[in-house]
Amino acid sequence: MKPVELFVTCMVDAFRPTAGIAAVRVLERRGAEVRFPQEQTCCGQFSYNGGYHHEAAQLARHFVAVFESSDHPIVALSGSCAAMVIHEYPSLIAEDVLSTGGSKEEAADWKHRAEQVGLRAIELSQWITQQRPEGAAASHDAKSATSVVLHQGCHMRRLLKANAEPEAALRQSGIQPLTVGDEDQCCGFGGTYSMTEWKVSTALADAKWDNIKKVVQEHAATCLTSADLGCLLHLEGRQSRLGETFPVLYLAEVIDQADQQEKGGT
Amino acid sequence: MAGILPADPTPWTKRRDAGLSDVTMRRTIGIVTKRFSTGQHNVFSGYPEGSLARQAAVVAKRQAIRDMDKLWPRFRANVEARGGRTYYARDAQEAVTIVVKIAQNHQVQRVIKTKSMLTEELQLNHALETQGVLVVETDLGEYIIQRAQETPSHILAPAAHKNRDQIETLFRDDAGGRGIAPPQSNDAQSLTLYARQCLREEFLQADMGITGGNFAVAETGTVVLITNEGNADMVTTLPQILVSVVGIEKIVDTWENLGVLIQQPAMNGIGQRLSSYTTFVSGPRRESMVEGPAEWHVVVVDNGRHLLRDTVFEDVLSCIRCGACLNVCPVFRQVGGHAYGSVYSGPIGIVETPLLTDWSILPELPTVACTVCHACGEACPMEIDLPHHVIQLRQEKVRRRLVAASVTRSYRWWAQLWSTAGGYRRSLRWARWGQRLYQRQGTLRSAPGIARGWFMSRNMPPVAAETFHEWWDKHRMGGPS
Repeated sequence: MKPVELFVTCMVDAFRPTAGIAAVRVLERRGAEVRFPQEQTCCGQFSYNGGYHHEAAQLARHFVAVFESSDHPIVALSGSCAAMVIHEYPSLIAEDVLSTGGSKEEAADWKHRAEQVGLRAIELSQWITQQRPEGAAASHDAKSATSVVLHQGCHMRRLLKANAEPEAALRQSGIQPLTVGDEDQCCGFGGTYSMTEWKVSTALADAKWDNIKKVVQEHAATCLTSADLGCLLHLEGRQSRLGETFPVLYLAEVIDQADQQEKGGT
Repeated sequence: MAGILPADPTPWTKRRDAGLSDVTMRRTIGIVTKRFSTGQHNVFSGYPEGSLARQAAVVAKRQAIRDMDKLWPRFRANVEARGGRTYYARDAQEAVTIVVKIAQNHQVQRVIKTKSMLTEELQLNHALETQGVLVVETDLGEYIIQRAQETPSHILAPAAHKNRDQIETLFRDDAGGRGIAPPQSNDAQSLTLYARQCLREEFLQADMGITGGNFAVAETGTVVLITNEGNADMVTTLPQILVSVVGIEKIVDTWENLGVLIQQPAMNGIGQRLSSYTTFVSGPRRESMVEGPAEWHVVVVDNGRHLLRDTVFEDVLSCIRCGACLNVCPVFRQVGGHAYGSVYSGPIGIVETPLLTDWSILPELPTVACTVCHACGEACPMEIDLPHHVIQLRQEKVRRRLVAASVTRSYRWWAQLWSTAGGYRRSLRWARWGQRLYQRQGTLRSAPGIARGWFMSRNMPPVAAETFHEWWDKHRMGGPS
């Protein structure tokens, strides 16, 4: 058994807990002993991107304190939140310590603690592919594979630079991921940007859906998926408002379904 | 000393809506930006020397910015040694005054210009026109938007928002006004031919030329211009008076460093290994020469540049105006360049506009025009940390209280609650209780406070009857079952 600490993210926790439960099953089937630090809340990225760095640092310090007691991997159910912990925490916290009257030693200490936590953070599909780095499962017939549209979140792509992992994780489960035109364009979510600048955000969601629909029509994809629930809630919320119902599933939910089908089929 | 930049007085919401509702512009800008960004990607593949030059260019430009105050006197001395006159303008007003005075001293009536973002920043054309001077832009894109009485929508391709039909209409109207033959059709060749014929006359009649400067070389006092149309060759050789208006951040020390930098705007802006024409100006006509201006005036402009020195934003001064960040920006592609209200649009514009002016204009830009997707950071050949600069400017807005107090209170309250597990869980229970008012058919359709904008166009699942935390409490407390 490989112990891992699960970081579900606030959005999975509150709005899609079933995605978190699916992730637990997916992890356990791959030999993980899932632990869930129950004091965890939110990574603070909403506040950070909004310019509220002191507020973000409060949440960041809480996160570090909650997760620093072990040395197991921290599996995050969001590429964006993982990137926040890994890339922004050390300097965010250190700068906040200094700007609120802390000493240089304190800042350096916090920075070190944040870095140690960041080194352990890993997004779910990265963890999955790490378990079987050799790649796709051989037992699946590519032709009969279920096709899904894969949306790659911007922070997954550009901060974690994990461009291959969600695709590889899906392929390992016999799922055929399809990419959309202009795949490197943001879906318009952007955290609180989706609320403060809803018109631009929605225009981007509509542009993304146009590209998704083209792929769906061509390849008969069964759902839209991503390693980031934030993008998905935004895209799903948009089509829901327009009265459309194309299935939108978080990556772990897709893999969990495939796992169950495989178990049922053999 | 803060710079002075023009600002569109129309509020952001109106500028944004005008962009979003301009279907033709959005389609056109979508095609152009995609072509440019694909070009940038392709030109570097299989060309390792190009990547090495880019890396060397970053180092050279960063050092040049560090040495800005040493390079300027050196550049100045070398320009003067070759017979040029030099001026230093601290802000837009001083720069404009200097150029207008040169024009007046020579009774200039007709000016021809190369494309220059700095002169847009200074609103130099307007200043000259109010003095009765006729100013004609000779870059094709600039020529087009000048006919339309518009400002550039893209720092590299000023008319990127216009399609061929719109340009044909503009040229037809223009031809009607002049009583000359209009373009034969809306194909690129006919349109270019029309502009070329008109511009020939302008080149021959002008008594003063004005250029910007893509680069300036300190060791020889040279101003460097790159174009794809050759118009800078004409502007710098035909009129008797030549004025070059150059940003102080454009000076590099040596030709060696110019060598690595000079490819970058073309490679990263349009995916071409080098611009079609490179024009070097190293002084007025000397006795042995048959062509060239009798006088060359070089105006070096600060206009807020020094405010960025020795700050975390210093790398912004490395910008070579290639437009790569605009081309990949999702917001730019949706709203177009004019929505920004500043001469500098896109990611570089939202960072540079408040910084150069010390927040005196368009303070909304860093907030309203960025989804923090980091595409600009990836695209910038000069490795300017645009995404983090945007976030830092948002922080600066909070510090300067440029954000509504109610929003700030919400964030504070949110952070206070969510920095403890108890507060976090409590807040979700409150939300679950409160959301009953906003639900219909199992989905949230509205919400109060900062979340309100979401529900203008999207639904949201309600906070679950059982959160993951609660599920874990119930099913997994004490370890996996």
